Amino acid sequence: MTDPAKDPRIVLAALARTHPVLELGTLELCFLAALHLRAEGAALSAFDEEKLSEVFEQVCALLEPRAEAVKRRATHAIQRLRDQKLLARVDGAGVLRAGEFALTRLAASIVESYLEDESLTRENLTQLTRSLRASLAEILTRAREAQAEADWKNGVEAPLRVSVSDLVSGIERRQRSLDLEQQAFQAQIAKLLESDWFGAVDQCLELLESTSQTLTELNDILLRDAHELSSVLQDIQEVTVNAQAEGAEAAVERVMEQVDRIRAWGAARQRAWSEYYQYVHRYLCDVVRLDPSRALIQRLREQLSQHTSRPFALSVAAAASPRLLREIAPFKDDKPKVSRPRAERERPPSDTDAVDQHAIVEALVQGVLSRGSDGLCDVTQQVNAETPSELRFVTAGRVAQVVARLARTTIDRDRPWVSVNDGLVIEEWKIAKGGARG
Amino acid sequence: MADTRYLALGDVVADELFPDLDLALRRGRHIDREDTLWYTFLVDAQALLEAFYRRFGCELIHPADGYFYLLPTGDKLGRRHLSVPEMLVGQALTLLYLDPATLQSGGVIKRADALSHLAAVMGSDALTRAFNPKRKRVDERVAQETVRGKFVEALRRLAALGFVDLVDADALRLRPGLLRFAEPVRGRGSPAEALERLVARGELVLGDGELGSDEDGEEDDDESSEQDEPTPTAPEPFQLPNEVLSEFGDFGEDMPPPERVPESSPDAPRDTPRGEPSATPEDEA
Repeated sequence: MTDPAKDPRIVLAALARTHPVLELGTLELCFLAALHLRAEGAALSAFDEEKLSEVFEQVCALLEPRAEAVKRRATHAIQRLRDQKLLARVDGAGVLRAGEFALTRLAASIVESYLEDESLTRENLTQLTRSLRASLAEILTRAREAQAEADWKNGVEAPLRVSVSDLVSGIERRQRSLDLEQQAFQAQIAKLLESDWFGAVDQCLELLESTSQTLTELNDILLRDAHELSSVLQDIQEVTVNAQAEGAEAAVERVMEQVDRIRAWGAARQRAWSEYYQYVHRYLCDVVRLDPSRALIQRLREQLSQHTSRPFALSVAAAASPRLLREIAPFKDDKPKVSRPRAERERPPSDTDAVDQHAIVEALVQGVLSRGSDGLCDVTQQVNAETPSELRFVTAGRVAQVVARLARTTIDRDRPWVSVNDGLVIEEWKIAKGGARG
Repeated sequence: MADTRYLALGDVVADELFPDLDLALRRGRHIDREDTLWYTFLVDAQALLEAFYRRFGCELIHPADGYFYLLPTGDKLGRRHLSVPEMLVGQALTLLYLDPATLQSGGVIKRADALSHLAAVMGSDALTRAFNPKRKRVDERVAQETVRGKFVEALRRLAALGFVDLVDADALRLRPGLLRFAEPVRGRGSPAEALERLVARGELVLGDGELGSDEDGEEDDDESSEQDEPTPTAPEPFQLPNEVLSEFGDFGEDMPPPERVPESSPDAPRDTPRGEPSATPEDEA
């Protein structure tokens, strides 16, 4: 089950509700950086309003010497930074006195990411992995000694989540930084060749070699140390699983994933760099060295633009593929052949005995009348009793017709409607006694 | 031969790499250092394979740029000449290969960049005309669609020949074999002399090569066919085979011909048998 606090939808929805916006110009960024440097240099924890304005003026004088109304701009800049939660008032005195302000964690992170040189180097990687190994060894010892839940929480889970995780994140951050450096470096090689074609060859080769060496060293350290780190983490995981400390186990898994990611980064970068290295080497040898005056591109461009007037075509081998006869399975004709039916479609009529329903009804009515009946309803009821239900409606009509023909009926002024079987309602006729027609 | 691990042609042919490599070379593929195993194999066996392929009337060429290909010089092995779209696209890709800006991405470029580069060097109109040689009346939209289609087809064919790798639907990697397209302008002499020399070696032919994708059965639009091609003859009428027709041989045999209704005056009473439809006033009219 996903932890709601980590569910991206919930997190993003909560973030969107606060309407966060960051809009920083160069001047504001430099102002923040100046505050950060001033705080570090003078060991200041906060700035009063006057000092803030003073720093802003210094930055403004440096970046925009001709700017006017600097005081007012400082006020606006400070307000904008406060609105964006980059500068926070920390004295809590309200209106009693002028406030004191400090950079928030967000502002500090932004400034640090611009100022700090956090590229991965052999030295800082070795230092980081060494610290990591020491921390993990300590955590393993605590995990083996842990008894109560508090021991697991304070001695294992918390250090894994905070200190170890921070150290691994530090390596990841430096890796990203190194990626950016490499991109810039690749652009630099292209720019060097663009500006000083043949003269840049040696410089490019030098750059290639130094970066290759750095990457190889880093990858070696990562491979070796990541293996050791994984081994210690597995020991910790084993202890946490045995002790059923779920929180600590989850924390170990998270760190293991980070370590795997670091190792994968090393291998991927090494591979990608190797491809790039070979490509650039080939380019320098095949293209730059063979065309020191850089005339080839221009001549090829002319050749291409004039191709339609002076066409030519390269020849290439084009042996036909060997023709392999495929085996053909004998055709099985399982389907019935299409043919016209020869049989006579129309069958001759056959003699069947016709059933005369009228005659049956008439006979039944005659029988009932001979036994004596006082009305049409009675006759209909008796005849319908011997008739299938689906024919009773029709039979009721035929009974009325036959009764009218065979008997003398009398009809009152008010002719009642009487219900007979199956929900049929018919008009009642009285039959005169001995009323059969001659 | 001292450095080679193959002492005789038999060793080369017996190598498990040989069959696939041989087929690839005979189909015109250019093998460079990125085909690591094949390239190493070719370097090792170069002397033996040169003599081997010479017997088939072709040369195993290994330029200084670091790639191999097979060039037919006789009639024993089939050959083809690249089509106009292949030549144009190939030269544009070579320009990009030589461009230092491509270095930044390690030789990987976007297809759209390649087409736009080609259009920029040649000019859009010239490019459209070159890719639509048969058309006199050119609808801009149709012609541009054709350019894009032929560009993609040319890329596919160049990839089969080992000049580029199609990385994905959007990107492609340029390979050293492309430098073959720059051969006529590589020397210090005039391009015409270089072309003559290359023609003499059988590396290329002057004039347009294949007609491009039209040869594969792809048809130009109806506009060109209306004007440039003779009017197609009408197709022969369709006729059922005799076996099928024989099935209907007795069709209508049992049915007697309808009796002629005797002509009579409109006033005379009709004696129409039951069940048969009677003539209507419209029929009589």
